Amino acid sequence: MKVLAPISSYDELEMLAASGAEEFYCGIVPREWLDRYTGAVWLNRRSPKGGSLDTMSELKRLVDGAHRLGIPVFLTLNAPYYTAEQMTWVMELARRLDGEAGVDALIVTDINLLMQLSQARLNAALHISSVAATLNTEAIRFLLQFGPSRIILPRSLTIHEIERIVNATRDELEIEVFMLNDGCAFEEGFCSTTHHHTVGAFCTNLSEMDTEFERSGGRELTRRQNFRLRRNLTDYREWIWYVNGNGCGSTPNGLPYGPCGLCAIHDFKRIGVASLKIVGREASPFKKLASVRMVRAIVDQVRSGSEKLVTIERAKSLRGDREHCDSGYMCYYKV
Amino acid sequence: MDWSIHVNSEFEIRSDLSALEVLSLDTGSKLTPVVDLTRRLIEEYFGSVAFTRCAYGNEFCEHLIPSAQQLKAVLTAAHDREMSVTFLTPYVSDAGIESLKPLFELLDQDGAGEVVFNDWGVLNLLRREFPRLRPVQGRLMNKSLRDPRVTGVYASSQAPAPALVSLRRSNLDCASYTGFLSALGVDSVELDNLPQGVDLSFAENGVKASAYVPFGFISTSRICMAAGIHYDKRDKFQPGAPCHHECQTHLLEYTYTNTPFENRDQKFYLKGNSYFYVHTEAMLRALFDQSRSGLIDRIVFQPRLPMIWERG
Repeated sequence: MKVLAPISSYDELEMLAASGAEEFYCGIVPREWLDRYTGAVWLNRRSPKGGSLDTMSELKRLVDGAHRLGIPVFLTLNAPYYTAEQMTWVMELARRLDGEAGVDALIVTDINLLMQLSQARLNAALHISSVAATLNTEAIRFLLQFGPSRIILPRSLTIHEIERIVNATRDELEIEVFMLNDGCAFEEGFCSTTHHHTVGAFCTNLSEMDTEFERSGGRELTRRQNFRLRRNLTDYREWIWYVNGNGCGSTPNGLPYGPCGLCAIHDFKRIGVASLKIVGREASPFKKLASVRMVRAIVDQVRSGSEKLVTIERAKSLRGDREHCDSGYMCYYKV
Repeated sequence: MDWSIHVNSEFEIRSDLSALEVLSLDTGSKLTPVVDLTRRLIEEYFGSVAFTRCAYGNEFCEHLIPSAQQLKAVLTAAHDREMSVTFLTPYVSDAGIESLKPLFELLDQDGAGEVVFNDWGVLNLLRREFPRLRPVQGRLMNKSLRDPRVTGVYASSQAPAPALVSLRRSNLDCASYTGFLSALGVDSVELDNLPQGVDLSFAENGVKASAYVPFGFISTSRICMAAGIHYDKRDKFQPGAPCHHECQTHLLEYTYTNTPFENRDQKFYLKGNSYFYVHTEAMLRALFDQSRSGLIDRIVFQPRLPMIWERG
């Protein structure tokens, strides 16, 4: 079970590796993409303004440096789809990422790209992104035809569902799960909205809009019904606040808040999950560092044979704010 | 061109399903204007249309998958009215796959029916165990951006042509993908009418396109706000959590009051676990013009938000 960390520059490499990162993933948005498609069309699920490297030479330096430390680097080509014009360009980029930069795997969503990459016989392995919304074992069986070595399960699967999937597929590929930072209120692969800076994320945007309930059947809502619906909406908006990293906040010690699966690491080790993903290519170097340290501390404790309840207590103490843990809204997984 | 209507029960199939009468269904006062507008524009463009097919099932939530008994009654009613049936399926967990199997067995026994899949796992199941059923790619598998907050603005502004072209298309633009679908026995795809306009040039590759009116989906989740009503606060908003179908009791209308653009009156609707936009008159006219030019094979009329469910 590896700790997978986001990285967006060579300068972050040494500190993240020293802090316990065992795999890296990153993105690249070459200038030509931006010139042609602007910020309205994203190459890899992140705004071109942040979180991605700009040039192949920067990427090669990063990959070479990571390989010297024995750490693999995976690269995101995980837009939900590419048009025919884009596909020609993306396939050429993929060949350069493979041959020139030497990335270890490509993280892919679009099944059309997945199919073409599987036929291209690159050295890089294929990882299927969480954006592909692989929610069941049958879907994995379908995707195996493209020869992926790993599938990243969406955040919305429960531990029980993950266990069932791992048990059914453990001889055929690796399973990666979300561990820390950004949440998503929706099923990421079935959310058709943009996080473009002009409008922001739809889920958080909704929390600031005027709302009105309408009862089905043409009847008026009673005061009691309206009260219950309003109270539930308030709770939902509070949950969205947690999903959004506690309003993008941090603990008094400066550690990042945000959705968390630390308490589930013991279960994931038992189940046989291959990799724990820390989200946030676009995050500050400090947030990446603190995140890697938190996850690695719990992973080390589990590796040393610590009991589940002891591990959970340690995880909660690391998060530093019991009130938020106890809310239940900061957890990716119920343990 | 085919006309299909999304129904909730055998009783609706047995009733008068003319475009005029659908207004008697429980649309609700907030959505009646767009349903009425759609009905009027259908008559203006196509005259009095006859629904020869009904869509039944749900695309968004595995808790809204109907029972085998309900599906059987719908199939019988459709036979009696000489209507074809398209069975809609959602994205699913392993448990959802299990609940679909007996329904596919029923459809298979009934003859070569049509099943809309919104999950590769559902397609895999269909191909392996129910090869007589005809798979249709659902609209959730089409990944075109359809964020009504901003895509309409892109279309009306000075967005660079390559970006706008990209936003109006999807991977259906690629012959490699439509060829892949064809090899899987999928020759029809379902679509939403996009706020930025939808490019249907892929239909020239022999792919048939169905479009839904007058609601488009924005986003959906395994975490349902409505289902939270009956949980203690700490236990609310868990993925796939059991529910009492609270989504059937109400809808929530959002008004885009915090927009940075001019669309302060724009509305979005939450029903259960899914958000929807409504078509504007301009969007409907654009789609109907495309239909007249032969690019659309079927229009699916949904007189209610597509989260309907019949209590067993």
